[in-house]
This record gives sequence, C-alpha cells and structure tokens, in this order.
Amino acid sequence: MVVWLGLAWSGWAVELLPAGHRPAPVGWHALVGGKVVVKPGQVLEEATIIIRDGYLVAVGSGIEVPAGAQVWTMQGTRIYAGFIEPYLVLGATNVAVRADSAEAGSLTGGVGGYDFFGVPGQGRDPGGPGPGHAVAGVTPERRAVDAYAIEAKALESLREVGFTVGHVVPGRGILRGCSALVALSDGAPNLAVLAPEVFQVVAFEVNRSRERVFPGSLMGVVAVVRQAFLDARHYASERADTALRSGRGQGQGGGIRPAFNTALAQLGPAAEGRQRVLFEPGSALMMDRAARVARELGLEFALVSSGEEWRRPDLAKGLGATLIVPVDFPEAPKLPEAEDWQQVSLDRLRAWDWAPENPALLRQQGLEVALTSWGLTQRRQFRARLRSALDRGLSEEDALAALTTVPARLCGMAEQLGTVEPGKLANLTVVTGGGYFTPKAKVREVWIDGRIYPVVSEEAGSAKSRGEDASRAGVGGEPKGRAEADAEASRRQRVARSPLAGRGPLVEPPALLIQNATIWTCGPQGRVEEADLFVRGGKIVGVGPQAARQFEEGAGALRLDGRGWHLTPGLIDCHSHSMILGEVNEGTLPSSAMVRIGDVVNSESITIRQQLAGGVTLVNLLHGSANPVGGQNCLIKLRDGAAPEELKVADAPLGIKFALGENVKQANWGERFTTRFPQTRMGVRTFFVNRFTAAQQYLEDWAVYRETGGREPRRDLELEALGEVLGGERWIHCHAYRQDEILTFLRTMEQFRVQVGTLQHILEGYKVADEMAAHGAGASAFSDWWAYKFEVYDAIPYAGSLMRERGVLVSFNSDSSELARRLNLEAAKAVKYGGTSEVEALKFVTANPARQLRIEERVGSLEVGKDADFAVWSGPPLDSRSVCLQTWIEGRKYFDRESAAAQAQALEQERSVLIEKAKQLASAADRGKGAEAESDAGRFWRCSLETEHDGWDRHCTDE
Amino acid sequence: MMPEVEGVASRARPGGSRGWGGRCGGAVWLAVACLLALRWSAESETLLLLGATVHPVTGPALTNGAVYVRDGTIEAVAPALDRRADRVERLDGLHLYPGLVVAGTQLGLVEIEAVRATRDTTETGEYTPDVESWAAVNPDSELIPVARANGITHIVPVPSGGVVAGQSGLLALKGWTTEEMMRKRPVALHVNWPSLELEFEARERAGDRAKGKSLAEQAQERRKRLRALQDFFEEARAYARAKEAAVGAGSAGFRPVPAWEAMLPFVRGEAPLFVHADEVRQIEGALGWAETNRWKMVLVGARDAWRVAERVAAQRVPVLYGSTFDLPAGDAQAYDVHYRAPGVLHRAGVMVAFAAGGRRDASNLRNLPYEAAQAMAFGLPAEEALRGLTLYPARLLGVADRLGSIEPGKEASFFAADGPILDVRAQVRRLWIAGEEVSLETRHTRLYEKYRGRPRGR
Repeated sequence: MVVWLGLAWSGWAVELLPAGHRPAPVGWHALVGGKVVVKPGQVLEEATIIIRDGYLVAVGSGIEVPAGAQVWTMQGTRIYAGFIEPYLVLGATNVAVRADSAEAGSLTGGVGGYDFFGVPGQGRDPGGPGPGHAVAGVTPERRAVDAYAIEAKALESLREVGFTVGHVVPGRGILRGCSALVALSDGAPNLAVLAPEVFQVVAFEVNRSRERVFPGSLMGVVAVVRQAFLDARHYASERADTALRSGRGQGQGGGIRPAFNTALAQLGPAAEGRQRVLFEPGSALMMDRAARVARELGLEFALVSSGEEWRRPDLAKGLGATLIVPVDFPEAPKLPEAEDWQQVSLDRLRAWDWAPENPALLRQQGLEVALTSWGLTQRRQFRARLRSALDRGLSEEDALAALTTVPARLCGMAEQLGTVEPGKLANLTVVTGGGYFTPKAKVREVWIDGRIYPVVSEEAGSAKSRGEDASRAGVGGEPKGRAEADAEASRRQRVARSPLAGRGPLVEPPALLIQNATIWTCGPQGRVEEADLFVRGGKIVGVGPQAARQFEEGAGALRLDGRGWHLTPGLIDCHSHSMILGEVNEGTLPSSAMVRIGDVVNSESITIRQQLAGGVTLVNLLHGSANPVGGQNCLIKLRDGAAPEELKVADAPLGIKFALGENVKQANWGERFTTRFPQTRMGVRTFFVNRFTAAQQYLEDWAVYRETGGREPRRDLELEALGEVLGGERWIHCHAYRQDEILTFLRTMEQFRVQVGTLQHILEGYKVADEMAAHGAGASAFSDWWAYKFEVYDAIPYAGSLMRERGVLVSFNSDSSELARRLNLEAAKAVKYGGTSEVEALKFVTANPARQLRIEERVGSLEVGKDADFAVWSGPPLDSRSVCLQTWIEGRKYFDRESAAAQAQALEQERSVLIEKAKQLASAADRGKGAEAESDAGRFWRCSLETEHDGWDRHCTDE
Repeated sequence: MMPEVEGVASRARPGGSRGWGGRCGGAVWLAVACLLALRWSAESETLLLLGATVHPVTGPALTNGAVYVRDGTIEAVAPALDRRADRVERLDGLHLYPGLVVAGTQLGLVEIEAVRATRDTTETGEYTPDVESWAAVNPDSELIPVARANGITHIVPVPSGGVVAGQSGLLALKGWTTEEMMRKRPVALHVNWPSLELEFEARERAGDRAKGKSLAEQAQERRKRLRALQDFFEEARAYARAKEAAVGAGSAGFRPVPAWEAMLPFVRGEAPLFVHADEVRQIEGALGWAETNRWKMVLVGARDAWRVAERVAAQRVPVLYGSTFDLPAGDAQAYDVHYRAPGVLHRAGVMVAFAAGGRRDASNLRNLPYEAAQAMAFGLPAEEALRGLTLYPARLLGVADRLGSIEPGKEASFFAADGPILDVRAQVRRLWIAGEEVSLETRHTRLYEKYRGRPRGR
C-alpha cells in the first residue's frame, strides 16, 4: 500500500541562515524499514515514511525512496505518531513574563468592584495591577502562549519518554487563562506554537492564604466560576449593545457607562460556547460537580482526572467528556517503625492500591482518555507508571490512543496530529527493542516537525538509571530475586475493595411489617404500645394496632417481630457541618449568599455511617458562622452509598445560613482581624439592611426589565439568593445568641417583610421567647452548651423547655459530627431540664426540625403517607441505656448493628492485608533505590478531599 | 524571693503548720474534711437519711435503706436503722449515690474558654513538675455549682501543657476557699506522653520540600523526646538520692531545687503518675517505661488502650478513660469502638474510671455520667459504670478509704436523685458534702426562674 500526498520536486523550503550558523538540514527524509503503527490497531511492517518540509508525505510499504531524500534505516524500530502531552503545566520551568503573586506586596490599587469582592477592611486581594477581575484567581485573559519559554532540560525530559507536542496550560488560579499547543522542538518559541488558544482552563483551586481572601473555600471557588461565566456573557451582550457603545443610552435611563473588563472580555468566547473549557476539579466528587456546572452554564468542556475516579465509577460514567488522566500513582512509603503503619488510614492504602487501575476503569466506563505525565516528580517515571496501568487492565491500544489520537482530537488538531498518515505533521516517536509499552524498549528518537531529536540521555543511561528501572517493579522485566518476583506479582493484584463495598441498603423489601413494637409516632397518635408499622414502596401505609391487617405475605415482603423494640421517626439534625467537601464556610466576605453547600456534598464521608448508627436519617447541612450571610443550605438524607445528587432531598425547600454576634464580628479571631465590616452588633444590623435593600433594588431592576425590556441587568448570584429570601422562597436559618441581637434581627427582617425560619443555637432565646413566638421563628437550639465564650455565659439548659412552653417551635441540633451520633440523648435533656414530656422532647429531634425545614409533609413523624424513615431502639429512645439497633430510610435498611460490626471487621481485615502488601512493596522498592524511597512516597501522603475531614469533629467554625 | 516550697519551708520553720494542712510522709494527706466538720459544728452532729434506695456501690443496693452520719462521716448503712439523730431526712422514692469523683478535669481552672483572661489551664515549658493546679482554682466559678448539681462532689483539676505538666490535688466542691475545698495534695503528677505521630505530609505542606522534615528526621526527634522524658525521671531519682545522702550527712551545703523537690513523692512511689496517652504506640511506650521503672501509673485518656487491654490488665494499670465520646480514630474502626472500649478493658480485668475528655469539660462536666452510661449501653456492666464514677476514681487517687462509696467510715458526700444517675432524665434532688447539705441552685436555675417569671404576652 502506498499513499502519496507529496508532489514531485518543487524546490527548497529550507531557510538560508546567516553565515556563521550551522546550516539547516534539508527537510527531505525517508525512514525505511521500520514497523509503523499508523494508528492504534493499524500496523505496517517494513514500511517507509517520507517526510518533506515537516510534513508526512507518504507512508506505506514498498514506497520508492526519492533520490533527494536523506535515508534513515529504521529496521528494528517501531514508529508511532508523535505522542502528545495533554497537560503540560510548566510551573517552575517556564519563565514568568508577568509576575502575579510574586509582586503582590508592591501592588497598590488592586481592583475595587461592582460586587462584593472589595469589601472594606477585608485583607487586600492581590489582584492584578491593572484592569481585571476583582478576584485574584480569575485571570482568563492570561495566555500560556505568551509566557511560553520552556527550558531545554524540560524539553529533553519530555522527548525522552516520547512526547513531541505539549498542551501547555497556565498553572495558577481558578479561571487560569488560555492554554496553547506547542511542538516540543528546540529553537524559537514562535515556530513551536501550533495553536495559541486551545482551552480556557479552570481549576477548583482554593486560596489557603492566611489573609482569608475570597474565595477561601471550595464552594466559594465554584461560586466564583459560576458568576464569572455569567458576567462574561453579560459583558459581551453589553458590549454588543450599539446604543451603549455610541453613548446614546447614557443619561437617558440607559444606566451608567459600562466598565471595561479585560478578564470578562477574554472569557466571552468560552462563556458563549465558542471556546472549550478544561476543568481541573481536583477530586473524584468534584469531577462530577465540574461536569454539572459546565452543563448548567452551557459550556463545551473536557476534564482533568483526579486520578481517583475509582471511588465512584458511577459518577465517572456520567461525566460525558474526554478526560486527561494522570499516572502519578503513589508509591508505598517506607516507615521508620513497623508500628507506624498503625497511623496509616485505610483510605490512603486504598488510594495507593487502586491508583494504577484508574485509567482502565475509566475506559471501562466508556470514557475517552488521554494520559498525562503531569504530577510525576520525575517525568522519566512515566513509562513505568504507564506499565502499571497496563498491568491493571488498560489495553495497549487504548494506551496508545491516549497518547496520540485522543489528545490530538482533544486539542482540536486531529487533522494534523495523532496518526502516521500523509498530510499530518511529521511528528514521530521511534522506539527500539520492542513496542513502547515493553519495559525493555527504549525511545531512540522523536521527530518533531520533520526534524530528528535523538534521545541521548537514555542511550547513555548509566548503570544507576538502569538499575532504577529494574527496581520499579513492572518495568524491570526480569526481577532478580524471589522477593522481587513476589513483590511484582503482588503489585499486579489489587487487594483493596471498592469504597462502595458494603454500603447502600442492606435490605429493600417491597413491603415491610414490624409487629408488636412500641411506636413513638411523633404525630397525633403519640406513643402506641404493641403497635405495627406497615411500609410499602418506601412510604408508611399503616401505623398502629390495626396496621398488620393490610399486610400480605409473599413477593419479598418482610415481616419482623418488633417485641421489645421502640420505633421512632428517623432523627433529623437541623444543623450539621459533617458531609461537606473542603471548608464549611466561605468566611472571607461578610455576605457569601451565592455560595452553595449543594455544590460540595461529600457522599463518601464516613460520618454518614456514624450518624446513621445513631438513628439519624436527615441532615440540614449549613455553612459556618464566620459571616453574616453564609450561603445556601442543603438537605440530605443519609442514603449511604448514593452519589451526592442522590443524597439530596428532592425539591427541598430552600434555605440560607445567616449569623450574628461574636463570630461575624470576628471577636475571637485574634488581633489581626479588626477591620472587616461589621465589627459590632450595631454593624451587623447595618449590614443586613444594606444587603436587603440591594436585593430589593435588584428585584426591581429585573421586574422593570421583564416588563419594559431595555438593558438586561447583570445576574448577581448573591443578590439573587437574598431576593429569594425577600420572596419567601428561601428560609433563613440564623445563628443567634444574645437577646438584643435576636430582637434586632427579627425587627430588621420584619422591616423587609421577611419571616425568619429558624434561629440557630439561640442561646438567649429563652429571654425573648414571646417575641420569637409572635414573629413565628423556630428555635434550633443546643441542648446544654454554655460558657465556651462570652456571649453564651447566660445560656441555660432549660432554654428548650422554656421556649416550648412559650409557644416557640423548638428543635435540638448537633452542630457536631460527634454529637450527631446521639441526638436522642440530647432530646432527653429537655426532659431533665424543664420537664418537657418525653413525647414532646423526642419531637425536638424529629417532627419539630422537620417543620423548621418545611418538610413535615414528608418526614418527621410516623404517619400514613410519609416517608418510611425510622430508627429502631433497644429501649425507650430517651433512655441512655438504649441503643439504636436499625435505621431505615424510605423502607430500606441502611444500618443494623450486626452488619455494622461485620463491615468494621471486613475493613480492619482489608487494612491489614493492605499494610502487609505496602510493607512488602516498600521494602522491595527500597532494595532497588535506597535513599530515594521517601521522596517518591510524597504522593502517597496526599490526602484525598473526600476523606480530609472525616476524623474531625466539624463544628469549630460554628459554636 | 525564693518561692516557698513544700518541705523546704517546713524545714525552715520547724513545727510550722500551713493552714489546715498537715504533712504525712511525702504527700500531704488531709483528713481535714472531718476535722473541719468538727470545727464547724462545735458539737457532735448527727444526720439520719431514710427511705431512699441506697447504692453503696461496693455492694448491692438497699431499698428503703438508712444512712447514719456523724460529724460528716458515715457511721452506719443498713436496711433499717432505729436511731435518734439531730436531723432526719426522708428520701422516699429517691436513689442515694455516693458523690461522683472526677479524677481529671479543667473545672476550676477556666471560666470562659474563649476569653483568655479566664483561662488558667495551660502553662508554658516542657518540664514543670512544680506547677500545682490547686493554686489556681476559683472557688466562685459559676461552673462549679453546675457540675455539682448533677452529683459531682469532688474533682481533680489538671494542669496541661508540656511533657511533665505539673501536679494536681483533690478538692471537694464545697468550701469558702480553696483551702477549705482541699482534700489531698498532690494526688498525681501529670505526664503527657510525647506524641509519636509522624507528620506524613510535612514535606508536602512545607511547599518547599526541603523545609519539611523527613519521616526519618521525625523518627529521630521522636526518639529524642522519649529519651528526654526518661532522663528527666532518672535525674529526679538522682536528686532524691543526693538529698537523702545530704540529709544523712546533716544537710550541709544541700541546696533545694523546687522542681526536683516536687518530683520526690512521685519517684518515691508515694503518689501515682497520671500518664496522658491516647494513641496505642504511646500507651505501649508508657507501659514499657512504667514496667521497667516500677512506676505507680494511671493511664489517662487512653483512647486506644482497648487494643492492648490484656497488657494493661497484666500490669495492673488502672485506666481513667476519657474517650468514650471521641469519634473513631481510624477510618476502618467501628462506629462504636470507643463506646465499647471501657467494656473491653473491664472484661480484660482493667479497672476503668471515667474522666472528661477535655473539650468543654469544664462547662459540661455534668454530662460525665452519660459517658459511663454509653459505655454501659455498649457492654460495660451497670455496676462497673457506676464504680467508674465513684469508687474507682477514689481508688486511683488513693482516697478510697474516705470517698467513693456509701460505707461506714467514709466522708458523708452523697446525693439523692429521682432516677438512675446514668439516665439523662434523672434529676438530682439533694446533695451533701461531708455531711452538710449543699444548695443545687446554679446560674442556670437562677436565670431559668427569672425568665420563667417574665410576664407573658408583650
């Protein structure tokens, strides 16, 4: 087969260099006799490739070598399309043309905003010195191509593993700027650039500086991304408005002159779907979030894998985008003492054992995968890691596609890159000693733009580097000793289970009957002895002595003897920070109403199982209380094993976290925090009046626009959320302590005709219970916390009972991952202090929080028609000697003690097996590498976002 | 001015007695409570309690039992007693328990956590055995009546910070001054076993990898810290020997060192070391050290002690468990691992007492019975749970002859509740310390009454 594209001789295309330069070679080559892998799955034996002026002009067997071409003998080589590195973050290797944070200290202005980012008194945002976006991390106007000046060493390291083209992405911030595609050739950067603007790159990167600059939380980052794209679209429409451009709209009701904003201008194409967006979400769950945000904004997008999609293959499957996948698999570390393994979590061990399987797993989900060397401490580890991925099921064909055709398509250069076909750029990767994926094989050279780049360093490979290769089990080929062979076999075999193993419903019978139990209905029936609970299709269809009569056996229906059992509705925690990814509070700005917990629900948190074991079924996830307006809440049911979106209570009424008092005025933050407004309770009121007035005007602007048209107002997600509060759709859950601030807040809200949903913690609520009752605000209280700071010196454990007596709807919340495990005993404190009856006290953690969250039609009591969410107790639920035996959600059992014990045993067992494996591999690696062992283990210790806060009792930001 | 040091001062002023305290051996043992009771009442005073279900703790409960008290000391406990007394109290329907003894808390040393000026819990310095917790207890703390109102009658305020944090004493929650509250001092020396945790991410966090410490470096530092602790106790022993020799030789030229003086009762084995250790490597290290040196030791906190329960039992080391309500320490652990731990320890043969875990323990020490209750719900026998709040802490403080049960010869500190004290719903109705009834009024009841009385419907 012969394919000719080229023409006959048509003269020189070689540039004549000035005298003194080494003259450029003639760009006409014939590569003869190699085995050419045209594309994944298509191989030509003994083929010839003709290159002319940087392009492939002919590829095939039996091609006549043109007389004028320089002939290269390729016998014994395998020739691939030049590999493409799809995620080249140059970081330290590129010379920064425009310094950003490095010069932050010397910047004076920064940009003050049309929005909340330039809060008076807030630590200065080290934004750019000129016009731009108010958030330092929003720099879509940057272009990687403008700073492209790669070091020779970095280039060599890339070519050494076979890369010929790199997709260079900007490495800092959230909206980072445009990526570029470059040839990894030597010489002038201008010649290297293949495409100057490929993707707009977005990373969910949190600013963790001590200055507490917005956004300081993961959820804040997502909010920034959303708002920035909306703003870019608005900006573009404003620019397109000719009336505005000509100035005719000004001063005649057309509004003020629109501001110039280079960031929003540059983001325009991406916002309008004309430029693709590449997201680097940083964790398995945020991958899903990024895809959802991208679809919500109508973006064309691709994703950079976290490397941990094995946590939830179901989510990966639904991503619907091409993935750039790292192979920076962790290496087992060597620990000083054997006992130190006690300190290593199961999750870390799993992450280590699963990692090499991730690429194959993603392919199994039907996703397009491009592989990257990004994240490796040394790029030459790439082939060894790749080999590990192959050992764990990635096919060679997929691996090759992941280095050639997929990234070529991904970067929009499939016409010119990715295969060895005429008409494409003459980029080739040439390997001797077998295929690229054979450990012994070597990259002999690469061709870029028709020029050869011999790989020197590996050729001259010292004994050391060869030894190193051998020791990286999986590459060595012939392990020397028995121990190495065992280690090698062990490495190929995954022993970790899926983190989803043993989760999910234990039983889900179509119908369920529990007989002869004591049922605390928390509804009009009160407590019923010797009663039955009848459940069908996840709903309660009968409660009471007669319920059993409707039950029919068969078809998987389950009948349980409930003698001795006490049944209560599933407990509801009206104030939790447990299952949240990243920080619980965007505590930088005084109002972060645009920030949504729903963006960062952590379905993988072990706190779900811990709280299920305490009978909890539904949780109100709230922000911390570092600012007056925290953000939008999220209600979830603890359906362990379900993905974040499935945990959410469908169509849950909206809520928002507010806060007052010491926390929002930064009273206990230390001496550095004395300038942000507000610093007093006076200022807190002022602040709310300001924001609600702004929200009113925002609604007015939109109403006018909808009625009369004209210039479309900017969508402001902060004011939109506050507008929903004004409209009564979004209910306030306000952290409040002292009686003066409580009353002031209620009166301020009344001024805006807003009814407050709940006052949270509400330690001095007992002093103004009548006023709260008259307003209609519920109290979601601590049972007995006090004296931990000055504003709670007057807190009393009788508050719950006293407020209830005065007509306030009262619940008790946990505000703590630990306390949430025993809310029934918190409710008992209302009996102890103030003599609330047991039936009423139990409602503090069931029916009452359900009403406070406006979901009492569905949950909170055991009544016909409601969700079958309930807990089974060994005795009266308020007795400290009682234990939660089972927890059910919508007729499915999610917890019982026996299964929990079995699961814990399985986890411990898995952990010991993993520790043994890690010890074995660490010592095998150690024999090969000596002192280098630890530096390679760095990746092993990187904590996954999903498990970062699991051991914490998360309430510190909110007491 | 040289600080006044116990022992040193009394040598300088032979026969000089400091307030109520006498000295007996190395530790100050005070049978003061009853002496004081004598002084207060001038004449012998008797009290007879009738009708309650008496929980002596050392034996089975007596329904409708009688307790006879003379001068602050229990004289008789019986199913029925026909004796005359100055006061007779009927406690029908109530349960009488010995006062709860908390062998480790911050109560008394802190008023409001977030207000630095009110915190006296933590000193700086690594080795400060001469820091004495009882020096800084505020008898008028609003937190004290709150703890007492749920049956707590005796506490040991614990100094924190450093490796050898200092010493603690035992105080009754009654008295006009700390001296009147004092029962015994010192009761323990507090050793915080150095952390053996490696900071795995040190290098990643440091940004610049070179700045973070490698695991090998950390392991070396860890060894140094342990060595320093062991050396400190060796040096304390050496001081004790030198002092003995000097005393034998007439003390000529011997110059006392307050910190080493403070160590004397502990290296002589007269009072226990309370070794605070949670993690299993720390616990094993402490056990080994105690075994080698024959220290009298109590494990405090002891989160992971259940992992090595057999060894703890074999060495007869009591545990002051403070982790019942800690979240599981590892992601492979069962949700109830710390609920079950006291039961596991007990079944192995370990004596388990309960102490507050630390967080909020001063303001909510009243909830300590519910930690024992949780342990009971998860496998600790009921009577052991109760002993863990009464008799066992008294034992490990060396005061079980005076406190911890309702038995003849013991201090008349007890309370009457309308239900089992391990049940949240139970209310403490009456409380006596050293024979005197103490009001159960608190800041909370005052505010409750005040606002309950607020006229309605404004």
